[in-house]
Amino acid sequence: MSAKQEVYDVCVIGTGAGGGVMIDQLTAAGLNVVALERGPQISPGDFDEDELKIIIRRKLFAPDKIDAYRPDEHSPTEYGNIAEIVHGVGGSITHWGAWAWRFRPDEFRELSVEGSVPGASLADWPIGYEDMEPYYQQAEADFGVAGQAGSNPFEAKRSQPYPNPPHPWRPSSRRFASGARKLGYQPFPLPVAINSRVYGNRPGCINGGACRAHGCPIHAKASTLSVSLPRALMTGKLDLRANAAVYELPVDKNGRLTGARYIDGSGEQQEVRAKHVIVAAGSLGTAQLLLLSRSGQFPDGLANGSGEVGRNLTFHHFPVVAATFDEDLRTYTGIESLVAIDDLHPSNPKRGFIRGGVIAESNVASNQPVIFGAVLQSQSPGARWGAGFKDKLREFPRTMLFSSICEELPMSSSRVDLDPEKKDGFGLYVPRVTKKQHENDVLMHRYFQKKLKDLAEAAGAEKTLVLDVPGATIGDDMHQKGSTHNHGTCRMGNDPKSSVVNKWCQSHEVPNLWITDASVFPTAGGYNPTLTILANAYRVADHFLAEMRRQSL
Amino acid sequence: MTLERSRRQFLRHTVAASAGILVAAQLPRPLAFAAALRSTEPETLSVAEWSALEAMTAQIIPTDHQPGAREANCVNFIDKALANEDAVALPLYRGGLAAIDAFCQTRYAATFVKLPASDQQAVLSSLEKNTLEGWPLGPEAPPAMFFETLRIHTVIGFLAAPAYGGNAQFSGWQVAGYPGSEHHSGGYTRGQVEGVEEIVPVWERDHRGH
Repeated sequence: MSAKQEVYDVCVIGTGAGGGVMIDQLTAAGLNVVALERGPQISPGDFDEDELKIIIRRKLFAPDKIDAYRPDEHSPTEYGNIAEIVHGVGGSITHWGAWAWRFRPDEFRELSVEGSVPGASLADWPIGYEDMEPYYQQAEADFGVAGQAGSNPFEAKRSQPYPNPPHPWRPSSRRFASGARKLGYQPFPLPVAINSRVYGNRPGCINGGACRAHGCPIHAKASTLSVSLPRALMTGKLDLRANAAVYELPVDKNGRLTGARYIDGSGEQQEVRAKHVIVAAGSLGTAQLLLLSRSGQFPDGLANGSGEVGRNLTFHHFPVVAATFDEDLRTYTGIESLVAIDDLHPSNPKRGFIRGGVIAESNVASNQPVIFGAVLQSQSPGARWGAGFKDKLREFPRTMLFSSICEELPMSSSRVDLDPEKKDGFGLYVPRVTKKQHENDVLMHRYFQKKLKDLAEAAGAEKTLVLDVPGATIGDDMHQKGSTHNHGTCRMGNDPKSSVVNKWCQSHEVPNLWITDASVFPTAGGYNPTLTILANAYRVADHFLAEMRRQSL
Repeated sequence: MTLERSRRQFLRHTVAASAGILVAAQLPRPLAFAAALRSTEPETLSVAEWSALEAMTAQIIPTDHQPGAREANCVNFIDKALANEDAVALPLYRGGLAAIDAFCQTRYAATFVKLPASDQQAVLSSLEKNTLEGWPLGPEAPPAMFFETLRIHTVIGFLAAPAYGGNAQFSGWQVAGYPGSEHHSGGYTRGQVEGVEEIVPVWERDHRGH
């Protein structure tokens, strides 16, 4: 493909939650958009339920990805395919569990609420819940969230009910709820962006069971692949280019971007020209691209006069307890999670730590047999082979998980930079994560592990197992190396000295550079991030189009 | 900036990632899938190796009132994986099986397959604990690596879709109580999710086999 001479209105880099919404909203308004996606085109035809291929070896979603991790700058770097994220058209929202939360009002103003915390870089968002509410509404409507308004007593005030009713509960959901009620908690249907009935030209869920970590073969699960991109393609305004790895955002002499340079699927260098560039390549990919884009004007990376690009990377941590009961829980049917409690979410310094998270029923590792046998039961105590191990395999239908999404505190030292040695298949230096847990994370983790165990026992579990494996557990010397939940690295804020983009997610330094993924999150919250990514992108798109109509862009 | 995009580089990463114990998790992809559909005859293993390996898998997941790894044909799963995507593990299996039989000849004056179950278990135990004497494969491939590769391959062969060559007649799924993959064939009804409607497992249905 030769470089086109056309100047697009907008170039969007990344087609996941943050990029997909921008592509949809801007093409709907009639703008000409070119979208560059580093991964290949993938489609529901690729979404079988082969857990070996997809989950254990990740042969579908980002087979060639190289992650680099070190706990601190004095430690050696390890390489591997660590983070379970997607390189492909649709991005990581393709294989999400579709938990669709609105952040709580206090999660937009943590510095004000908590005060300064030693070792952490807490910050307020430059926007509040009230700014986000209409866009949460829009995201819930477009992505067909199923839930029950008012059922979560800790939920922020909402202007509209959910567009779809909750999904039916399985025995594991009822067990979870009964245990929760016994302990005085208030269980509620977990809001999910999965159709509980025909909605938005997409079918209702068929409860197949292989949901999180898989793509949905029938598009009942909402994603940019099922909602935003088809709509955008229908406008005729979208030029979608897969296998396009952007390696540089060039600037002109006035400090404005001229477009993007990328390597295409045959290894050729290409360039597109655009009036605006929107980057949504994920917290790792977005920071990587800005840092790769060094120039005379931006010697430390594009839009990085503050030195903040790459910093304040946050994941979540995930305390998990596996529990075995005396009945068939049917966790191999339906979606990942149907019921949650939020009672332990509000910050309470009396617990010995600040912040918190949500707790939910889950079927991760108890919905498919290979992951159950080769991962969960291979790591559980007791026999690893022989008659005893075979008995452990028989626990499959009676086992469920109690899991939580716990907030990590941001730290300036938790960062992404460019690995000095390792290059990916495109010849680009891979993003390197340098990151440890804050002490607050570890204290919260232990507290939640205990509460999950109490909850499982109150629900009547015969046997519980606090998972103590890398990835599921953190501790003083056990840090998370990568995650599906990536936030920070290009914070939004009002002060150009301490943030990368302004409240409209527009670079403080490069006026036609915008960032609309979770890179802009100053803090991680105690919920899955995706609905907030979607809502924020709708908010930015609204502003972008209003400014464009005023011709001030 | 160097802009080399070389397939070879990808391959190097892949091999590096699958080095060591991770060989165990280097799972078969559609090549092994297709091979398993073609044949349940040995493609990589000799008849003797096949028999020894089959006996070992039968100790990892023994037969009781329900099928074990032998009935599930886990050895066929491993053979097909070694013929294709897991070919990198073939030297480990070859060398390991030879070493085990040599050990068994010295210690018991019989090959592994001829040993009574208790002796077979003792041999596997010493592999697992890295204490088997006379192991020839060196520190990069210790006995415990052989054992863990064998163990995880057996578990996966037992529980992965039958098209990969194991889990014959859904025997692994019968043991686990997993009724089958429904994502592409209608899913489950509301009543089945709620636990009030029966689910007929795939091995009790007429002619299914994905």
